[in-house]
Amino acid sequence: MATRTEPTPRPRRIWQWGDIRHRNLGMIAFILNRLSGLGLTLYLFLHMLVLSTLAQGPAGWDPFIEIVKAPWFLLLDVVLLFGLLIHGLNGLRVTLNGFGLGVRAQKPLFVGLMVIAVVTGAIGTWLIFTK
Amino acid sequence: MAIEVPVKMFRCKAGEAPRFEAHRVSVPDDANVIDVIDAVWRQDNTLMFRHACHHASCGTCAVRVNGYEKLPCIVPVREAMAGQTEMVIEPLRNFPLVGDLVVDVTSFFQKQAASGMVITRAAEPSLDGRAYERAEVFDDAGRLDTRPYNRFENCIECGICLSACPTLSATDRFFGPAGLAAVRRAVQTTPDPRRKSLLLALADSDHGVWQCHSAFECTEACPQDVDPAGAIMALRRELAVRKLKAVFGLGGH
Amino acid sequence: MSAPHVIVIGAGSTGAATAHDLALRGFRVTVLERGEIANQTTGRNHCLLHSGGRYCVKDQESAIECIDENLILRRIMPEALELNDGLFVAITEEDLAFKQLFVAGCVACHIPYREISPQRALALEPFLNPKLLAAVQVPDGVFEPWRFCLAFLATAKHNGASVRAFAEVTDLLRSGSAVTGVKVRDLRTGQTETLGADLVVNATGPWAGEIAHLGGVDVPVQPTAGVMVTVDRRLNNMVVNRLDKPSDGDIVVPQRQTSIIGTTSWTILDPDQIDIPKDHIDKMIHKGQELIPAIAQRVVRGVGAAARPLIRKANTDEREVSRTFECFDHKYDGVEGFVTISGGKTTTARGMAEKVTDLVAGKLGVSAECRTRTTPLLSYRLFYN
Repeated sequence: MATRTEPTPRPRRIWQWGDIRHRNLGMIAFILNRLSGLGLTLYLFLHMLVLSTLAQGPAGWDPFIEIVKAPWFLLLDVVLLFGLLIHGLNGLRVTLNGFGLGVRAQKPLFVGLMVIAVVTGAIGTWLIFTK
Repeated sequence: MAIEVPVKMFRCKAGEAPRFEAHRVSVPDDANVIDVIDAVWRQDNTLMFRHACHHASCGTCAVRVNGYEKLPCIVPVREAMAGQTEMVIEPLRNFPLVGDLVVDVTSFFQKQAASGMVITRAAEPSLDGRAYERAEVFDDAGRLDTRPYNRFENCIECGICLSACPTLSATDRFFGPAGLAAVRRAVQTTPDPRRKSLLLALADSDHGVWQCHSAFECTEACPQDVDPAGAIMALRRELAVRKLKAVFGLGGH
Repeated sequence: MSAPHVIVIGAGSTGAATAHDLALRGFRVTVLERGEIANQTTGRNHCLLHSGGRYCVKDQESAIECIDENLILRRIMPEALELNDGLFVAITEEDLAFKQLFVAGCVACHIPYREISPQRALALEPFLNPKLLAAVQVPDGVFEPWRFCLAFLATAKHNGASVRAFAEVTDLLRSGSAVTGVKVRDLRTGQTETLGADLVVNATGPWAGEIAHLGGVDVPVQPTAGVMVTVDRRLNNMVVNRLDKPSDGDIVVPQRQTSIIGTTSWTILDPDQIDIPKDHIDKMIHKGQELIPAIAQRVVRGVGAAARPLIRKANTDEREVSRTFECFDHKYDGVEGFVTISGGKTTTARGMAEKVTDLVAGKLGVSAECRTRTTPLLSYRLFYN
């Protein structure tokens, strides 16, 4: 009788959802959202870990504050700030679209929100390093 | 006038590693990409590719041309070769591969069937901007009946939107842009409120509209102006409104 | 005792409808198709569900087959059709002179028709040539060929048939003077295997001659190509035909959001090698404008050509060859277990299937009656179940 050939499942690779070749702006929005989302989740855990040192009193806390004041650490604050802005504002686009708002204008909406993110982020960076 | 097209054709037989095969074909300068694939097939008729209508109605021929999801039957060779030195032809992504350019559309059509979309609908009230008078058509008994003209839906179920979807490149379980666009159509057209609730429950499920990442790649790639992302957003809105009404006790059911 | 096994070669409309009829009558059925379902003749046809109007003057046998099958298909696959009727429009005085013959033909072939005034025709179809002199409405319709075949095959599969695409028949197995099966190459693996059968049905349209040769017999099929040109907008709801005997570029079929202009006709040698002559495309656009002038402003979206399987008769040009079908029992050529069904058109596929299945049932001693006239077809999507 007839032999059946099963279709070959295509291997999925992690880089496939990071592959922006032949894709459009929406793919970049998707990747930015995913990277910032993963970063913020990582930050949340670190934050919990750091807060738990509070329980050990000033002995555990004071050395940490010293590290935080270092310029290289402030740079991480800048990364955090941009992560929050990009994820938050992109999330705003997704939410608005989800309510049927600005669906046709999703590209300009994304660009506009990202301009806000960059401008706000730049001001924030300036404040972080000067205050 | 004929043009020479250097082709890099994706080839893969069951159990073998995929490879690209170089071909040189000559096609008329006004030919479409499907004619290039057909010309390669004439050189080697073991090449497997799907095609039927050659006018973007059957939806079988979708492939990737130089990386982009296209219906080769409506893309002129000149357009596909603009700024290119060769034409790379590959099967769609996010589908199991049968071989060469052929992908397995079984689970895709099962989802389409689950959506319950009827493939014909009432025609637009005007033809390319010109109004027309109410139809009078023969019924099965040869009597004149006044009902609206009908026509096939825009969606040809070509699978291009699935290949372009970043969510589907990570999981097979997402219902997918075409499926959700079909659910949206069925929600709009069904007169049965119980059926409408079932369809909305399908859209609201774990692998429904909320799994979409709003990349809008489906709508960018769609050759038939179906706008699946727009349909997903419309379903989200409808679901969100229902949920909000339920929370504030305004639902009426 | 298990049911007889019948192999159907070809999954165009004829093969698909034949598989459905055979499965419904209890045969074990295997459909073998060398490519995608409907990848040639059926896939690239007009998409016209004929009312019979096109043939009611010159070929009334075909016209009657068409209207009968048209009414059956409306019942068995209602959701898979655009049912907006067709208009035959007269543009010239010559066309107008044809009207009387046409109306008489409709009456003779029991095709429902009504004459409507040019003003009314323009009100219904605003893109029609405003110079039209007369219009006659008939129950034409539009199908989608690939899904048309899938609906028949989905139902056949539901009734136990096996359908294999990308499975190419490379030879027929012979035992003495009988065909006993096929040699088939699975293009997915490159492997060749043999499949035994009690009977083989050759439903390969314009390739029927090639397959028949494998069985050592001749079939008078004349592959005749035709070109279709599709423009980027839907410019009509009703099928628009020229009120005249069939000629090049005399029909514009609406489908989805496009309109399809058809067709030309030229004899070819090899249905695998169709080069579309550029002047045929230009002719379609030029002649189409006589029916719908706005075609001039539209962009061509797709161009397709495939070979029709016309049954060859002596001393006729390709337009005069009857569009009806023929069923050949090759026992009259000295070969048992082998029949060919060819000619015809997609609209009449079910009727062709009925005729060939009657023949097969008779040959294999199966008494089941044809039930395809009244059996609703499953959704094409269920082909993938």
